[in-house]
Amino acid sequence: MIHPDRRAFVWLALVVVGTLLGVWALLGNLPEPVVRNRFVVVPNGWAFLLGAFVLLIGGTAAAAYTYGLAKRPGRAAAYALTAGTHMFIWGVILTTFYPVLYLVAVSFNRNDTLASTLPREGHLLVRAGVIPNPAEISLAQYQKVLSQTHILPFQWVLVGLLVLAVVGIVGLKLAERLAHLPAYRADAWTRLLGIGIFVLAAITVVSITPAQFYGITDAGVRVPPSSERTILLYIRNTLLVSGMTGIFAVLIATTAGYAFARMRFEGRYGTLLSFVFVQMFPGFMALVAIFWLMVRLDLLNTFTGLILAYSGGAIAFSAWIFKGYLESVSPALEESAMVDGATRWGAFWRIILPVSTPMLLFIFLLQFIGTYSEFILANTLLQGQEMWTVGMGLRNFTSGRFDTQWGALTASAVLGSIPILLIFYSFQDALTSQQTAGGVKG
Amino acid sequence: MAGFAGVAGLRLVLPDLPAWSGLLFGLVALVSALWFISRRFAWIMPWYYVLPAIVFLLTFTFFPVLLTIWLAFTDYAGARNGQLNVASTTAVVAADGTTLTLADPAGLACGVLRNGCVDVRADVYSFELLAVEVLGLEDAVLTLAEPLPRGRQPRQVELFLPDLGFAFSTLLAEVDGTRLTLGRAPPVEPDLESVRVQMADEVHRRIVAIDGATLQLDAPLPDGFEATAIARYNEYGFIGLANFVTILQRAQRSLIPVFAWNVSFAVLTILINTAFGVLLGVLLNNPDLRFRNLYRTLLIVPWALPNIITIQVWRGFLNEGFGIINRVLMLFDITPEPINWLGVAMAAKGAVLLVNLWLGLPFMMTAVLGALSAIPRELYEAARIDGASAWQGFWGVTAPLLRTALVPITLTGFAFNFNNFNLIFLLTDGGPPVDWGTSTARGTDILISWAYNEAFRTQGGFAYGLGSAISILIFVITVAVSLVNFRITGALKEESNT
Repeated sequence: MIHPDRRAFVWLALVVVGTLLGVWALLGNLPEPVVRNRFVVVPNGWAFLLGAFVLLIGGTAAAAYTYGLAKRPGRAAAYALTAGTHMFIWGVILTTFYPVLYLVAVSFNRNDTLASTLPREGHLLVRAGVIPNPAEISLAQYQKVLSQTHILPFQWVLVGLLVLAVVGIVGLKLAERLAHLPAYRADAWTRLLGIGIFVLAAITVVSITPAQFYGITDAGVRVPPSSERTILLYIRNTLLVSGMTGIFAVLIATTAGYAFARMRFEGRYGTLLSFVFVQMFPGFMALVAIFWLMVRLDLLNTFTGLILAYSGGAIAFSAWIFKGYLESVSPALEESAMVDGATRWGAFWRIILPVSTPMLLFIFLLQFIGTYSEFILANTLLQGQEMWTVGMGLRNFTSGRFDTQWGALTASAVLGSIPILLIFYSFQDALTSQQTAGGVKG
Repeated sequence: MAGFAGVAGLRLVLPDLPAWSGLLFGLVALVSALWFISRRFAWIMPWYYVLPAIVFLLTFTFFPVLLTIWLAFTDYAGARNGQLNVASTTAVVAADGTTLTLADPAGLACGVLRNGCVDVRADVYSFELLAVEVLGLEDAVLTLAEPLPRGRQPRQVELFLPDLGFAFSTLLAEVDGTRLTLGRAPPVEPDLESVRVQMADEVHRRIVAIDGATLQLDAPLPDGFEATAIARYNEYGFIGLANFVTILQRAQRSLIPVFAWNVSFAVLTILINTAFGVLLGVLLNNPDLRFRNLYRTLLIVPWALPNIITIQVWRGFLNEGFGIINRVLMLFDITPEPINWLGVAMAAKGAVLLVNLWLGLPFMMTAVLGALSAIPRELYEAARIDGASAWQGFWGVTAPLLRTALVPITLTGFAFNFNNFNLIFLLTDGGPPVDWGTSTARGTDILISWAYNEAFRTQGGFAYGLGSAISILIFVITVAVSLVNFRITGALKEESNT
């Protein structure tokens, strides 16, 4: 009689081979593709695809089950469930990522417009146009959208330092994990580098000016840039506006949040209520009123005007979040300081502010990310092309012309996403947990 | 207020001061005043902490909101925006006391105003063409031999274009001594020998009556003022509830279908996202699953990308002829024909839900994971000891606890998606047009995009009053949803007790 372990492994091998054979048979025997309505169609392809996917999940689960029988028979079902889950999750990840990967792939493709006819050669997926032709990889799109950007030498140095700082942080994380660098040391350095990145990025953003964007004709004459080729300026504008809005909101909202959390005074509840409810008014429907206000303040078509227009909602939101945070901080610290003779303001300034720096940074980031994606107020208040934000710049691609310039659009979209992507993943845990904690405003 | 007073005073001394400096002066005046007050009244101290926030909120949020609410009860629109209507400038052929005779009364375009041209402000002009001697023209700057005579305002410049054989006239952008900056440069070389500047005098009056070509002003013109033209203002006024009545009258074709789709969009998108979010959350919460943190990190990428960019990219992906969605669907023969995602109302609605699933799933998944991690493991163990299967454990322990935790999140999500303007505006732009709708209320328009269309995209400028009325409706609905949310979560309850 065969040992139960061995028998299970035989089964395991059979399941694995069977699954692979089945998937291979399904995908290898796809019907001949036909062309219908100018699309490449594999007749009943969905059945083959679904079959392969189900077979893959089932096969993996069955393999894990047999493996579990051999290892820990009591947990075999859990093994099967977990292995099946892995396959399913990978299916979901693939589906979620497909548009993103496609976007990045198109941005690195030479073809400017995908409306052109489908390629006749290559893999089935290339012929169907669901992946860009890998034979045409190039940086042409990036060269195109950056061709009228002229970066000065000292800005290259700033960018170089920025990259170094980012590499440094990644290196620290690796050192902490691999070389067992003490956590407190790594944290101290990370904080230092983080501040460095913030300052460098701020200097870089402020130092870029619209004057650095121009085209040069064959005769060597400078001409105004084309609106499709100044994505870097749009990113700079958006970063400037978002950053200033975030800083401004934190500055103004901190004291208000503190008063709401720690002081009890006549009219507190009413003020708090109005803070919460006023931001529920569809803000941009006050556009004409805001426009009217900005014309009278001479702030139309200025970043200051746009930042002030954002400030109302940003301040109310930040004050509310900061109040919630302070309520979770014990008042004992300030109270003891005040017993020792500190004033209210002294306690706030020397104790509360230092303690809540991470929270203030977090409020800033939330505001920053939110402002980055605002469209309609910016679209109304900013008028000159050199004032456009990223959203307006992209809109120019999708609705400005009859023929959408896909290549340039995707390259711009990739470039415009990078700042927020970096920030989001750097502060992933803080950002996701706070937003889903079910505050007043998602 | 102090700022405006300060600027008004300072402008007498420094006329070029920009208006925003009022904010600065107001701030300085305020801070010094506040310091004195705080020494007298100690109880005012907490307000000082709140004051900066309140000042900005009052100026840039409350004030525009109040102005918007007021405008909802007016007939404010592009053609009625309170400004001077330069296009209505009409020649006056005779003037006698308060009576003017017009050459072409239709030029005043009284029809767009509520009561015609009755009780409407107007500017009466006295124009005169002055021949001037010109030294040169360069880059739209005209250099005169001597400055223009004082007293009257130069308005326009008339240049004769000998190559084209007609006169070219343009408004003056700036006058600085002998240098006149033209609003537009002439298209071809003008004849500099025959340049004429239109000098104007104007008085403000009010039109009290108009009958055919004769028009009555509220006060006689000054002595020696030769009226040559008149222009009216785009008056707007209080019209009570008429905007709301208009909305109700057209409800069959706009309010009702838009509201129905708005509610079903918000409900459906929350249902779909929650269903997928719970599925992924429960799967990823499995402690045996290796790499689950990696999976979570990968799956939140749609959340990490700025939606203002991803939505616009999705617009391209949904293109009927070459978008990848149709290419994939066609490649695997899932649909027999390519789907016109943005051109057919039903498909556009599906596209909105699909894209919002992609955008919103990471949020829901993270929320579910957070709620699940708050459930103590002991509960499951207790259930297992009592003999419950994994399935029973899920329905008996996970589901009820998850439901309680998800209610506030789904309500917040509902309120957010109810007004998800970016998604609708950037993805489908409210379209496609449908035969049961209007030009402003189309296939996927939700209340807020409909309000935007009414306010800013209707013909003849913007029917802002109507748009504001819709915004008030939206505000009421949003507040109601939030109140329900607060009641459930108790977010404001403890506040009222203190």
